Parts: sequence; structure tokens; C-alpha cells
Amino acid sequence: MVTHLFKLIWNKKRTHTLLLVEIWASFMVLFGLMVLLIYNLGNYTEPLGFSYDNVWAVNLGNNEDTTGISSKVNRVLQRVKAYPEVESASRMSDNFPFSGYFNGMGVSYNNVTTQVERYVVDDQFAKTLAIPVAAGTWFRNADSIGTYQPLIINRKARERMFGSENPVGKVVSDYEGKKGIWRVIGVVDTFKGRGEFASDKPVMIELLRNSSVYDKTLIIRVKPGTNAQFEARLVHDVVALTNGWSVDVRYLTDSRASLHQQVVVPIVILSIVCGFLLINVALGLFGVLNLSITRRRSEIGLRRAIGATGSGVSTQFVGETWVLATFAILIGLLLAVQFPLLNVFDLQAGVYLTAMGVSVCIIYLIVTLCALFPSRQAALIQPAIALHEE
Amino acid sequence: MITNYIKIAWKVLMRHPVYTFITLFGISLTLTVLMVLTSFLDHLIGAHYPETKRDRSLYIERMNAYDSARSSMSSGQMSFRFLNKYTKSLRAPERVSIFSESISSNVYVGDHRIKIGIKFTDAAFWQVAEFNFLEGYPYNAQTIANGNRVAVITDGFKDQYFGRETASVLGKSIEIEGVQYRVIGVVRGSPASRSFTNADVYVPYTAPKSNYQSRDTRGNYTAILLAGNRDDLAALNAEFQVNISRVPLSEINAGFSVGILEVPSETYLNNYLNQITRGGGLTTAFYGAIAFIIFMLMGLPAINLVNLNLSRILERSSEIGVRKAFGAPVRTLLWQFIIENVFITFIGAAIALLFTALIIHAVNTSGWIAYADLAISAPVFLISVFITLLFGLLSGLLPAFRMSKLSIANALKA
Repeated sequence: MVTHLFKLIWNKKRTHTLLLVEIWASFMVLFGLMVLLIYNLGNYTEPLGFSYDNVWAVNLGNNEDTTGISSKVNRVLQRVKAYPEVESASRMSDNFPFSGYFNGMGVSYNNVTTQVERYVVDDQFAKTLAIPVAAGTWFRNADSIGTYQPLIINRKARERMFGSENPVGKVVSDYEGKKGIWRVIGVVDTFKGRGEFASDKPVMIELLRNSSVYDKTLIIRVKPGTNAQFEARLVHDVVALTNGWSVDVRYLTDSRASLHQQVVVPIVILSIVCGFLLINVALGLFGVLNLSITRRRSEIGLRRAIGATGSGVSTQFVGETWVLATFAILIGLLLAVQFPLLNVFDLQAGVYLTAMGVSVCIIYLIVTLCALFPSRQAALIQPAIALHEE
Repeated sequence: MITNYIKIAWKVLMRHPVYTFITLFGISLTLTVLMVLTSFLDHLIGAHYPETKRDRSLYIERMNAYDSARSSMSSGQMSFRFLNKYTKSLRAPERVSIFSESISSNVYVGDHRIKIGIKFTDAAFWQVAEFNFLEGYPYNAQTIANGNRVAVITDGFKDQYFGRETASVLGKSIEIEGVQYRVIGVVRGSPASRSFTNADVYVPYTAPKSNYQSRDTRGNYTAILLAGNRDDLAALNAEFQVNISRVPLSEINAGFSVGILEVPSETYLNNYLNQITRGGGLTTAFYGAIAFIIFMLMGLPAINLVNLNLSRILERSSEIGVRKAFGAPVRTLLWQFIIENVFITFIGAAIALLFTALIIHAVNTSGWIAYADLAISAPVFLISVFITLLFGLLSGLLPAFRMSKLSIANALKA
């Protein structure tokens, strides 16, 4: 039966080439969409590692002022900490959580360099963002005095750099291999500063020097219910204190929403393309099946006359469609399987395999739905009428 | 005769409602996608409010510095001082405008805050961009020279800051980050997708925090060179590039020693494409991708519809046989089927037009793009009609040709 169906399809390969290409193309786009969806959903389930409610990021811009920058920033920080509305405040580099900015560098341990995401923060950072420390300790301000700069890494960085060793107390150098720059003092579980949909990448957190002229972002946790009236007062005071710097206050919840939009937009676009292709596959199937049923009326009539049931006839047409879809999906799978084999985008093989499975199911489902109506038409053909025309 | 063909076509369509529905669905979906896409592209690259002079403007948005081996690169916008030095001396342009990107900030009214974008501009900005002033007037060179703290705001910002009811806001003041500005004009806002003119508040470049005196070559300023007419663009570009070739490379601060400096002055479309493709030879690839997408959007449905059309015509082989037997030439039959097909396509196009209007209305009112003004303008409509005709011919020609070639004996047999 199955070999017979294969033979039927093979004999009409020219008519079916286009449909084959369409099913193949929509399978590939669907596969891409599924990889994106499954990857992002997988990332979403990993914990963020900090809390962002009631947290504001205040960007300071010194504009054309170039004198005494670090002392002005520190003065602003002290002023901000003094407000009763502020629970906790911290100073950090400009790539604050959800900012979308990325600061990366390579660090070496035992001559193996690992690419990490880099944050420069002060001792109040963990308290402000409620980051739990898994092993070792967080920065104390006194840590900055000493031969080595203190360093905190996340679990992923620990696995990549140290394997099963205990990292606390180990000395790491920068990518140029300069001897001993940092000493690891603590490990956090996860810290996904680029949002929930980002994957858990190796992270290093460095202690900010008070004298730094960069790193002019303040992270503030305010008491729940604090409104824009306080914010206006804050901006006013900061401008007065710095004599005309720019102040841009952002809520982390807003930054998070706009970061999420960057994830959602490609998914929406890909879904539209995919939907368009799938509708075309459906249209093509309707057309081809309708054409072949009109052409093969006498064949169907003959089969019915010698005893084939209506459901037997419609099964044949649905079966033919399945064979066609199988051809297309096999070609598609052959290409799709290259992604995990060649490790193209540094994703886990499981993501690709799940995406393949889901895409195959969706294609078969759609193909079956489209084949059902024309096949029912075929089953309704009366042998007497069909053969009479002959 | 044509009315007769159309009558027949209508009867044939009514005979199989399901397949007619599928055909019309395919046609109208495809045309809707194409019309919305055309309208969207027109919104992005066409010359619309307030950038109505795009076709005779050159945009200077990026300075690319390389070391002599082109192994390091630094790219970004420029400082006011740099642009001022190398564009204001040009003789070819009618006007030169230098302005900053839209810089985000917040203003506070009572207990809520408004997120805004501020643009620092020169006086020529108001001639290069044609804003519609609902109230008041723009600032001019004299206002800027006097150092007046004045601002032009958009109607949307006005409604948020002063409330909808306020009759006139001229002369009232707004406070942004501790600086007071006096409102001298209210304009209809520019869509968020037109980054050269979009902002909520426009102030003179001499205002505080504009960094116009910065000695760095990099900053956040852009320039537009406006030519008298389109034919002067080439000469304008040539004159500006001569100026750029005279820039002392030691002045450029890029973190490495600069050997090659490029400051392209381009038309809006090229500038836009280079933004997307990040320069380089990718523009061709981009056009290739567009061609492929158009093929996918038009080609696939057209070929699909060929099959549907074929089976519809196949059912009528006896009719064709009879007409041929009575002496109808191939040409007449061909015409009949093509007219039938174009007729169906136009029904589909009418449905598509309706859907397009609905989608465009939804996009415009959704607030997805602030001040979006997508429309089915005359060019968009004409392109759509052309596409429709092409589509009708594409999907109707092959089946019509095949059927009109059918031999009489075979046709009558069925």
C-alpha cells in the first residue's frame, strides 16, 4: 500500500515539485521559529538572580564639565542615600540591568581564557538588587585595599573557569595574561543583566573604584509607593548639586519591557512569514488535490465500482499527501540536523531536537487538515456517474 | 461581450462556493500583504511630513574612522563643532542644518512624569524640515544668537504637559532637568520612524547640556545638506567630500591612530540601507533579499492559484469543445479566460483594499509608532492595481493557454 503510494507520487513528480518546495520551505521557517521560541522559553525558566521592582537607574552625564567628576558623582550618591524615600543606593557601570548595553572581556585562569560579561559595581549593589551570594562573600569597601582587586563571578563562570575546584581565593588575570589582577571572593548563582530571555552566560562583577571618572550610573531602590513628585525633587537636587549635569531616570520595569520588545519583534515577524507560507501550502494542496481528483474521476469511479469504500478512497488521497509531506520533511530534517551537528549557534542539541519534533507535527497536522476536504469530495463520487462520462 | 464573459465567470464562481472562497482568500491575502508592505515602505522611505524635502537632501550621520590597515574601526555621530567647521563653508547647498539626535529625558507635572526626547537644533532645521505650526513660530538665528531659552514643542507633549483644554501655551514655561524654557511654538509631531525629525521638544543648540562646544570630533550631532534641486546632489556631495579630504587625521580621536576617514553624505534611502546593513557590500545582498521576498509573496501564491484555476477550467472542457466546434478561434477563448481571471482578481483586490485600510487604521491608532501616518496614497494605490493586474495575468495565462489548445474531440468527449 505504502510503496504503491510512493510510486503514484513519484510518477507525478513534476506536478508535485512546487508543492514539495513549499512544504520544505515552510518546514524550515517553522523550524527556525520553533528554535527561537523554545530557546527563549528555556531561558525564561532560568532565574534572573536579582529583583527589580521599585528600582530606578539614574544616568548622570557630565556634558562639558571635566573637573572633579568622581567626587561629584560620589557627592550625588551620598545625597541620594540620605533621602528617607530611598531604601538603598549603589553606583555602577553604564551597563545597568535591562539597559541593553553589553560590556564583555576575556579573563584567564591557568592559561585558559574565558569570555565573560563584565559589570563594575560598588559594595551596596547586592543589597540594592537583592542578589543572594551562593559562596564566599560580597564586596566590603575595605576589599579595594590590597594587592588584588576582589572579584565575584557567577556559577556559569565558575564552571567554565574552575570546573570542580573551589574558586574562592583563586587569582585570575586578564586576557593578556598579566599576572594576578583579581582574586575571586564570592560566587553568585545567576545574574542575567540582559533580561529573562537572555541565556545564563559567564559573568564577572568587579569592585568599582571611588576615583573612577566613568561608571556614572546610580541604582536606587525606593520605598514602595514612591511617586514622581519625589523623582522630580531628586532630579532638581542632583542638577543643583552638579551644576548642570544631565540626569536621566529610568525605571527598571520600563527598561525590562522595552528589552522584551526586542525579543518579541523577531518572533512576530517570523510568525507572520511562517503563517503566510503555511497558508500557501494549504492553498497549493487544495489546488493540486482538486485538480487530480477532477482528472482522476474515472479512476475513482472504477475503484468504487469494484468495491472500494468511500473511506478507502479518501484514505488514499490523504495518504498520498502524507507521502509528499514526508519527502519534503526528510529533506528539511537533513538540513535541520546540521545545526546541532555543526553547533552553529552555540545552542543545546535538545532545543533543536524539540523544535524538529514540534515542526514535524505541525506540518503533518496542517497537511492532513487540508487534504481532508478534497478527499471527502473524492469519496462522494458516484461510480455510475463517473463511469458514464467515460 | 465583456459583460457576457463576466456573467459566465460569476456563474462558474457560484457553482463551487468553497473553491471560490479559497481562491478569493488566496488572492486577497496576497494582495493585502503586498499593499500593507508597499504602504509601510512608502511610510519609511517616501518624502512625507515633515521631511518633505528628502529627495533633494543629503544626510551626514556617521563618521567612520579606520587605521591604515582597516583592522580597527570606530563609527558614530559627530560633534557640533566638527560638522559646523566642514559643512557651513560649503557653497553648493541651499541650506545646511545641524541638529542632535533625540536625547531621552523626563519632565514632571504634579505627581506624574512624562518621558520625552529633546533635540538641539540650529535655525535652518525649520527650513530643512517643513513642520506644520499649530501655534506660534520657530526660533531663528537671531533668537539663538541672543541665547534665549526658548522651545518648540509637539502637540502630543503639549496635551500631556499643559492638559488638553489649555487654549494657548505660547509664552508659558516648561522645566526640563532644572532648565526653564519658554514655549514659542507648537508643531504637529513627527512620526517616531523618522528619526531625523522626531522628538517632543526642540530647543536651540546653544541651550545648556547640548555639548555644542565640545572639542571632541565625536558627539551626537547629524547634518542635512539641502540642495536647490535634485540634479545638484552630485555636485554637493563632491564639494563636501573635498572638505572631508582636508580634515587633519590627527584631529580624530578614535582610540587608535586614524589612517582612513570616511564621512559619507548620502541620500535618505542609501543612508537608511547602510544603517541596516552596517555599510559594506551588503546593500546588494539586501536588494537580493527584497527580490526574494517579493518572489515569495507573489510567485508562490500565483503558482498555487494556477492549479485552482486549471481545475476550474477543466470542468468546463465540454463548453470549450462546443465553442471551438462552432468556430471560436483560440484568441477569443484565451481572452475570455484571461478576462474571467482578471475579474476574479479584481474582486480579490477590492476585498484586499478593505483589509489593508483596516490594518493601516489599526496600526495608525495603536500607538505602536507614535504619530504613524501610513496611508493608501495615490502611488501606493496605483502600484497595487498594477500588482493586481500582473497577478491576474500570471495566474490566469497558463491555464487559459492550455485549455484553449485543447483539441475539439478530447474536449467534447468529457
